[in-house]
Amino acid sequence: MGCHTEKALPISSEDKIKILLMGNPNVGKSVIFSKLTGVHVDSSNYVGTTVDFTYGDVKHRNKTGMVIDVPGTYSLQASSEAERVATNFLEEGADAIICVLDATHLDRNLDLALSLREYPIPIVYALNLLDVAERQGIIIDVEKLEKRLKAPVIPTVAIKNKGLRKLLDTAFSLANETVEAFPKQTEEERWETIADIIGDVQRHEYKEPTFIEKLEYITLKPWPGIPIALLVLLLSLGVVVGGGKALRALILLPLVNNVITPFLTRMVGLVVPAGIFRNLLVGEFGILKIGIEWPFALILPYVLLFYLVFSFLEDSGYLPRIAVLADGALSKLGIQGGNIIPMMLGYGCAVPAILGTRAATTYKERIMVATLVSFAIPCASQSGAFFALLGDKSILALILVYLMSLITLFVVGLVMNKAIKGKGQPMLLEIPNLLLPDRTAFFKKLKLRMKHFLLDAEGPMLIGIVIAAVIAETGILNSFSTMIEPFVEGWLGLPKEASLSLLLGIIRRELAVLPLLELDLNLLQLLVGSVVALFYLPCLSVFGVLTKEFSLRTSLGIGIATTATAFLIAGIINQIGTFIWALVG
Amino acid sequence: MVLDSCVKEKDYIIDDVPEVQLLKALGIRKGVKFEVQTKLPLQGPVVIKIGNRSIAVDKSLARQIEVQEV
Repeated sequence: MGCHTEKALPISSEDKIKILLMGNPNVGKSVIFSKLTGVHVDSSNYVGTTVDFTYGDVKHRNKTGMVIDVPGTYSLQASSEAERVATNFLEEGADAIICVLDATHLDRNLDLALSLREYPIPIVYALNLLDVAERQGIIIDVEKLEKRLKAPVIPTVAIKNKGLRKLLDTAFSLANETVEAFPKQTEEERWETIADIIGDVQRHEYKEPTFIEKLEYITLKPWPGIPIALLVLLLSLGVVVGGGKALRALILLPLVNNVITPFLTRMVGLVVPAGIFRNLLVGEFGILKIGIEWPFALILPYVLLFYLVFSFLEDSGYLPRIAVLADGALSKLGIQGGNIIPMMLGYGCAVPAILGTRAATTYKERIMVATLVSFAIPCASQSGAFFALLGDKSILALILVYLMSLITLFVVGLVMNKAIKGKGQPMLLEIPNLLLPDRTAFFKKLKLRMKHFLLDAEGPMLIGIVIAAVIAETGILNSFSTMIEPFVEGWLGLPKEASLSLLLGIIRRELAVLPLLELDLNLLQLLVGSVVALFYLPCLSVFGVLTKEFSLRTSLGIGIATTATAFLIAGIINQIGTFIWALVG
Repeated sequence: MVLDSCVKEKDYIIDDVPEVQLLKALGIRKGVKFEVQTKLPLQGPVVIKIGNRSIAVDKSLARQIEVQEV
């Protein structure tokens, strides 16, 4: 099994103590992980599966260990991919296991806790969320629990750093020990043991429901849960749009336009003689001009704020509530409520959203969500571009574009539900506690997401801008524009220079919008251009991920369908708009 | 009776569940006591409370879970 180990783990764990961090979903495992590990944290795909896991180094005294954040599972039945990955990790072996238990839901957690003892690996249990349990009136006798589990149990409150040092101490000292596996139990036997342990170690005291508990309840009920959900979404939108606009107008644009660009223009002017090369660098479409203004001043603020808001909602335990509330409506499209989470993530970037569909268990749900995200959900970069293009000129057009995206989402969903056989997986979901996100874990995640955005998005974007600069300054663009002029001018009613949008839009979604900024368009043209961009090809990275996750045929199919829709709807808007214009005028 | 026809503010015990692994893993098994927390509109899920855990169960699944009033 040696080579198997190497394949599964893209990192060398030689002469490091290998610790598996395991537990049920939503027990604060990731918070413990981010507190234990240092800055060197990365995520990786478990070979041969769609499951990702995170790992990082941990220093303790003068020893180095590696902690692997194994995907959260309820059991080790190997009935889901995450459970198979967890089982594989156990079979590959480790020096110690840290098993995180949620003190507020101890009964459900003990199933995994007991199953883990059936492997010959020393275990330390972290009894986490003890503060929440106490507030709820749950009292657990830790010493008795230790005796029953026959392993150390460390009480922890991870978000307050309580108990973590002792947890690590225990894990490192256990790592040298050899233990024997417990005899295997059947599921029924295990649940009998659990009932027995719970009766022995846990007591309940009546406590008045806390504010958070009341909030947990009312955010689940249709009334006032649904209005609260709408309010939260509206507020999130406000933070991203308003905050992004403020960042852009007050800080980034003045900085770029008044300081950086003039400085670079002057410097290039000193070194490079006037002519094509100087234009390439600092001309109208100059690499140093557009290459800084577009990605950093127009796009970055929205992406940053989107992930800030999304990660907050994610870590607070609120998103599963939206999934429960939306389940009824989404089931009309043949998919269950849980799919709303990757769809929301799609407003940030389609790539993680499509990867996020892996959590869906049926093919129908995966392909539907991936198509909907590629089709009609503008990503944060593209939204940034829309705000830049339409925000100042016509709020109405901006609202129309997003309204059209929602309607299309629904129509495409209905059509696909009819066309694709099969059913969505019925919803079965334990709703996590609401809690204030932990700062360390939150910023680590935000950092990882921004890093991925900068690496995955800015590269292609800069390449797109270089191409734009070259074809614009060398005249290639002119001949291409003349070639497709009848289509662009006749059918879409856009000036022929708009063909640059169509060319660059292949690379990234926002590049289908941004070139329109440089043209002097009337209101109808702005709307038509935006609609083309909204439905036009998904970006190159999305193509890549669709091909990898599904097939080349699927990604080409989606690409052709979205582009055809873009030209059809935008053309119709132009023809009707022009007709009305003529009548009025 | 089945879980789908349960009403709020009464206590029930689960009698029989279909062979779904996740149901068992979430502790929805024979003999477990629960109450109904809320039912969501548009054929949405039933949210039940076992101990202090809230679990959303799809309506079609809730029709297959046999329960008894206590």
